[in-house]
Amino acid sequence: MIIGILTDWVRRSNKAERLWLLAKIEFKLRYYENKLGLLWALIKPLMDIAIYYIVFQTIMKQNVPAFASYLFIGLILWNFFVESTTGTVQILNTKKYLYEYSNMNKLEIYVSTLLSNTIGLFFNFIMFLIFYNFIERGTAFSTIHTLWILPLFINLYILSLASSLILSNIYVIAKDITQVWQVFCSFLFFLSPIFYKLDIFKARLPKFDYLNPIAGIIINARKATMEGTAPDFGLFVWDLGYAVILLLLGIFLLNKLGSKAAEKL
Amino acid sequence: MTKALAIQAKSISKTFRISEDSHNTVKHRLFNLFNPPRTKKVEALKTMDFEIYKGECIGLLGRNGCGKSTLIKLLAGVYPSDTGNINIFGTTLLMNLGVGMSHELTARENIYVSASVLGLKIKEIDEIFDKIVDFAELREFIDSKIKFFSSGMVARLAFSIAVNAGADIMFLDEIFAVGDMKFQEKAIKVFESSWIEGKTVILVSHSMDTIKKYCNRTAFMKNGSLVYFGNTDKAIEMYVEDNH
Repeated sequence: MIIGILTDWVRRSNKAERLWLLAKIEFKLRYYENKLGLLWALIKPLMDIAIYYIVFQTIMKQNVPAFASYLFIGLILWNFFVESTTGTVQILNTKKYLYEYSNMNKLEIYVSTLLSNTIGLFFNFIMFLIFYNFIERGTAFSTIHTLWILPLFINLYILSLASSLILSNIYVIAKDITQVWQVFCSFLFFLSPIFYKLDIFKARLPKFDYLNPIAGIIINARKATMEGTAPDFGLFVWDLGYAVILLLLGIFLLNKLGSKAAEKL
Repeated sequence: MTKALAIQAKSISKTFRISEDSHNTVKHRLFNLFNPPRTKKVEALKTMDFEIYKGECIGLLGRNGCGKSTLIKLLAGVYPSDTGNINIFGTTLLMNLGVGMSHELTARENIYVSASVLGLKIKEIDEIFDKIVDFAELREFIDSKIKFFSSGMVARLAFSIAVNAGADIMFLDEIFAVGDMKFQEKAIKVFESSWIEGKTVILVSHSMDTIKKYCNRTAFMKNGSLVYFGNTDKAIEMYVEDNH
């Protein structure tokens, strides 16, 4: 199927344009419809950081160096994952108009929606770099290793796409997956090394850096952007494999359940 | 000379399972694991085979509920077939009282999205953009969200996109019921012009005149089966007889 999509892509080259068009419109719909506009995309992570900073650094005294940046990179990656999964559980319902009247490939709907989230993440990442290099005190400047964020992001994108496919296709036959996922998602949030000190996380929850597919991505992203070292390759390959297997499951479900979306939803 | 295929359907059929109590939540499914829902089977389409060639204009006749709409949804690739397989060569567009448009988007955005889904590049859409807007007579409202449009305006926009952007294979389901008289005249004129040349069109209509005038071949359906597929006059005859 993946090879089919790629050859199709080369043959009808308007696909890349279409994905970008859909992503831009989706992005505009999300942020330009309210008064604060794009500013909101930037304020939200800052507010989250302020909250967790007060709880974990001021009250609980975790003593993580450069904790605001530590939170920043963890939260923007986590937010991308949540927006791309919780935000897309009902995608086959909300984007019905795209596939109900034509034989458009449904996978394009997912890819473009996640692309629109990528635009948001891109702005957030730029903010992170500014914050880390110029505002946070006592940190070294970013190094060339920061570029490792690209393969790590691709890993995160595949993982989010896979989860989105699995959830939204289950939604076709079980509507309350929305609630189930919300509970699971907050569970996953507290079992990810977003605001814990890494040593404590590894000691108290052994194997969770491997079990939780998003934990490794966050750990490696910090290595690349803050510690200025290459990522832990064992962990990276593991997470990539994790994401690809989930993606195959997602595509299987799309063919099995998603093809019936037009008649069931 | 062998004609190029547009749609090839091999032993396709469709049965809908309508369940009496809805098992569409995780909770319901878990609690009723050993008590499967009672479902009623509705055989919407009985097994059929046929081929449609590029450039043909096909009529589709039959009384209400005979499976016409289900058949075109299958052929357009919107519904999967239960058995057999369908090969579709090209993009499809299914038009009934609207085409896929989001009510949250403006007319401008809808034109770009729909035309892009139909396979056009942005540059090509830029070129036909004015034509679409003028044909739909919506110049003043181009940047309003279509949720504020009247149903006639939405239908006009949809028809205009379909006419000007056009997919390789068009399914037109009672489209002449759209718009006021002036717009209907315009719509029929389009049909008479060169628009359908080179395109494959499947026309569903209860208007015998339209079918007679434009269709090379016509299919007649009854109770979910394809009774006849061939000569247009013969199909119309059978349909008229069925109505008596």
